[in-house]
Amino acid sequence: MKKKQLISNCLVYSFLFIGALYTLFPLFMALMNSLKTNGELLTNVMSLPQQLHAENYTRTFEKMKYFRSLGNTVLLAGVSVTLIILFSALAGWKLCRTKTKLSRFLFGLFVFSMLIPFSSIMIPLYKVTLVLHMKNSLFGLSLVYAGLGVSMAIFLYHGFVKGIPIELEESAGIDGSSSLQTFFYIIMPLLKPITTTICITNVLWVWNDFLLPLIIISNNKKYTLLLSTNTLFGQYSSDWTAILSALILAAIPVIIFYAVFQKQILKGIAEGAVKG
Amino acid sequence: MKNKKNPNRSLLIFCAPALLVYKIFKLYPAVSGIFYALTDWNGINKTYHFVGFSNFIEICGDSYFWNAMWFTLKYVLAIVVVANVVALLLAVAIESRPKGKGFFRTIFYMPNMISMVIGGYMWMFIFTKVLYYMADNWNMKFLDKSWIGNPKYSFVAIITVAAWGAVGYLMIIYMAALQGVPTELKAAASLDGANAWKIFWNVTFPLIGHAVTICVFWSLNSGFQVFDVIYALTGGGPGRATQSAAINIYEEAFKGNIRYGYATAKSMVLFLIVLLITMIQLRISKGKEEEL
Amino acid sequence: MKSKKFLACILAGVMAMSMAACGGTDVATAGDEAAANGSEAMETGASTEAPTEAELNIMMSFPQYMDQWESYCHKFEEKMLAEKNVKVTVNLEMPSSDQYETILQTRLTGDDAPDLFTLHANNIGTYNQAGNLADLSGEALAGKIYENVKETVSVDGKLLAVPIESQAWGVLYNKDIFAQYDLTPPETLSDLKSICETLNSNGVTPFLLAFQEQWVPQLMTGLTLGDIVSGKIPDWLERMYKDEGSYEEVKEIFDVIDLIMANGTDRAMEEGSEAGSADFAIGKAAMYVQGTWAANTIMATNPDMNLGVFALPINDDPNCTRVNLSTSTTLAVYPGTQNMDLALAFANYVLDDADSSELFQSCSFNPLATCHNYESSSWVKEASEYVAAGKAYQDLVIPSAVTDEQGRLLQEYYVGDTTVEEIIQKLDLAFQNTNSLK
Repeated sequence: MKKKQLISNCLVYSFLFIGALYTLFPLFMALMNSLKTNGELLTNVMSLPQQLHAENYTRTFEKMKYFRSLGNTVLLAGVSVTLIILFSALAGWKLCRTKTKLSRFLFGLFVFSMLIPFSSIMIPLYKVTLVLHMKNSLFGLSLVYAGLGVSMAIFLYHGFVKGIPIELEESAGIDGSSSLQTFFYIIMPLLKPITTTICITNVLWVWNDFLLPLIIISNNKKYTLLLSTNTLFGQYSSDWTAILSALILAAIPVIIFYAVFQKQILKGIAEGAVKG
Repeated sequence: MKNKKNPNRSLLIFCAPALLVYKIFKLYPAVSGIFYALTDWNGINKTYHFVGFSNFIEICGDSYFWNAMWFTLKYVLAIVVVANVVALLLAVAIESRPKGKGFFRTIFYMPNMISMVIGGYMWMFIFTKVLYYMADNWNMKFLDKSWIGNPKYSFVAIITVAAWGAVGYLMIIYMAALQGVPTELKAAASLDGANAWKIFWNVTFPLIGHAVTICVFWSLNSGFQVFDVIYALTGGGPGRATQSAAINIYEEAFKGNIRYGYATAKSMVLFLIVLLITMIQLRISKGKEEEL
Repeated sequence: MKSKKFLACILAGVMAMSMAACGGTDVATAGDEAAANGSEAMETGASTEAPTEAELNIMMSFPQYMDQWESYCHKFEEKMLAEKNVKVTVNLEMPSSDQYETILQTRLTGDDAPDLFTLHANNIGTYNQAGNLADLSGEALAGKIYENVKETVSVDGKLLAVPIESQAWGVLYNKDIFAQYDLTPPETLSDLKSICETLNSNGVTPFLLAFQEQWVPQLMTGLTLGDIVSGKIPDWLERMYKDEGSYEEVKEIFDVIDLIMANGTDRAMEEGSEAGSADFAIGKAAMYVQGTWAANTIMATNPDMNLGVFALPINDDPNCTRVNLSTSTTLAVYPGTQNMDLALAFANYVLDDADSSELFQSCSFNPLATCHNYESSSWVKEASEYVAAGKAYQDLVIPSAVTDEQGRLLQEYYVGDTTVEEIIQKLDLAFQNTNSLK
């Protein structure tokens, strides 16, 4: 019996270990080769770098205007996600608590649009941003993200509110205080778990989105991290060391974010998906 | 009291900000997209004509589009099966052992954090440099394949990378569901003499049905819109061999004849097909869940 | 009851609208701020001697020359400040080449066109029809451009763009390898075959293949179609535009394409164009079907490279063996620009008597105007000899949809997914489709 247990342990752990290797392999290869000279890389991609060539990094760091792009991305993600949460918490809660034809219609409208592919609204959307003078505006872009992101968030809030007993709200005296006050002092705290989830998924979405900033932001002073990385691909397309160091630089912030908020992220993702 | 009398009024007030941004940035572009689908707008000219349904009639005979659609279907099928099976296996494996839970979970979820544009380029490096190095120097001849160039193998490459990006997310959902399965049930079954496989299949699996629905729905829906992975790896090539529907639409709109109206019409067709398939899937899984 | 509901709806609607207005103005102020600042500066500029401010948006498609053009733009800014007392800020954008057209088109249709932008000379006709190109005939630069180059950027006698990259090109070859085995550039297809045999028997791969990007295999059709049209069937393209021709007539081009594909390096589909240039530079193969624009990368990888150019033969008629004269990148001025004066000044500055030569040389562009007084590279001279001997043709203007299709089908052909017959059929169809959309 013990022997059997040992064998099964071995099997399971080697399976997990292979999986982990496969997952980390591209990241590791990118990191290792980004520290070599181009000649070294071309002769042997599997060797450890003979000397750490950090100059690849200093060069791409400058070329990407790293801190500026990072700041832009943080600003963009921060504002977008705040708007999404605020707007959709208000709407999601009320939509769930109001039982009228109109509320069913509105909820249906939000949910239905979740299936519209981005490619079919791309150019009309671009025209809208132009008319509203949002071209090259990070704030304008975050409004666009809010518009695109609210439906999913409303769907999640709606589902979550369903699980909160209405008595909690009623006992707080919904009739006495104005609704907006109830909302911020009573409801928002109750929604905290799902808010964390929505916050995380949307930060990741905005952070990693590429096509939308590509068409809306053309001024390189407003470039996000991915846009700056992308311009480098064009400039150094034959120099893998430059490309790989840029990839690593672009990945570092999310990896740090992940390392710090790992628990919340993993918990949030799971709960969000299951409750939604 | 006021609120109870006019539920719709306060509803609209609460929904106003969300509705506003939603209408401007999603609904209006989508509706005007329908209008463009009925025109011959080519993306460069400032004028365009209303052409009725002729775009849609043309789509019916557009073999490139249907080939891309067929490729997308194959992709969706493969990614739904591969990603979900692997994710479930990983989740079960991690949950079944007391040690290393956090460690493995952290690692497997990591690719999900990184943009597919970046992940795609990293894999590109693997497929064009690293695998050939291994084939040439480590005598691993089975790696000496045209991973990007030969449609047979590039399909494998695309699934490999797409699964790399998706498995972590699905695994987390499965793990959460598995944690919700009461251990007493499993213990009881094992006392009855059931083996591990039977316990999983008869006790655990029915209880995580909801998670399976979510994961299949998610991978199905994102699978139909697949763009970045293929774009970063093969660009749809060689020729059109690995074009997904989304890439076909993108190319129609921005390359070659630049037919924006026609491309929009195609995206409407894609939308309808996705809608149909998701509805069928939801209906089936709902029925199944009720049965259980 | 019903009317109350209705009232509520209207009320909510009004509120939503007022919010929309608020939101709208909010955004507008955010966006207009910069503009307001700009106009303020303008006013003060007019009253005192402080320089006026202006912005110029330029979009270009070759990020590999980012540094060179950035410093050129700085020079332009200084020049404008010194000569016209205008403080220009040049916003130079260089999207990567595969996204370039997408971005440019979104901008042009979105009424957000850059003041100047680059485009391929073969697209001048299409963009001109859409009213996206300003007439530059009256500018000083018009007088400087060489006549044979000027033709490629003019429509109905109107000069519509400033040529930037213009070249005579054919097949690049490694002169050292050729010398080592006593080989001379081929004049006929048989010559090319025997060259391949000699190289193969000495263990040298004849051709470098880098087919990952569609435009590279497409170069083979660019060269061979030009050869056959100029040397054999002069009216083929004209008839193609009238739906009266077929690729069946030029089927011959596959003889040499087969030869190249059969004698090339492995893993062509995994090789990008830049990687291909680098590999060619370090001697992985003796020949490379690639334009002289690749010279920059090649010489950067291997400064000692002995680079040559020959015309690609397609059959045993030496009269068909010619080099391709083409203008790939040109710079156009958008006619609706707010800063027409400045935009024209920049267009002229590209061919500036004092500064242009240095820029063109640093990017290894070929001289194309009288203001260019630098010594051109040896391989450029070699190609020019073909031109001087009359063995050249103007690049064929094939619709870009068909060109893309050629590249795609050649990729499929290389991996064995399609046959010559299918290619002919599909290309005929693609050409007819494009014709029907005109």
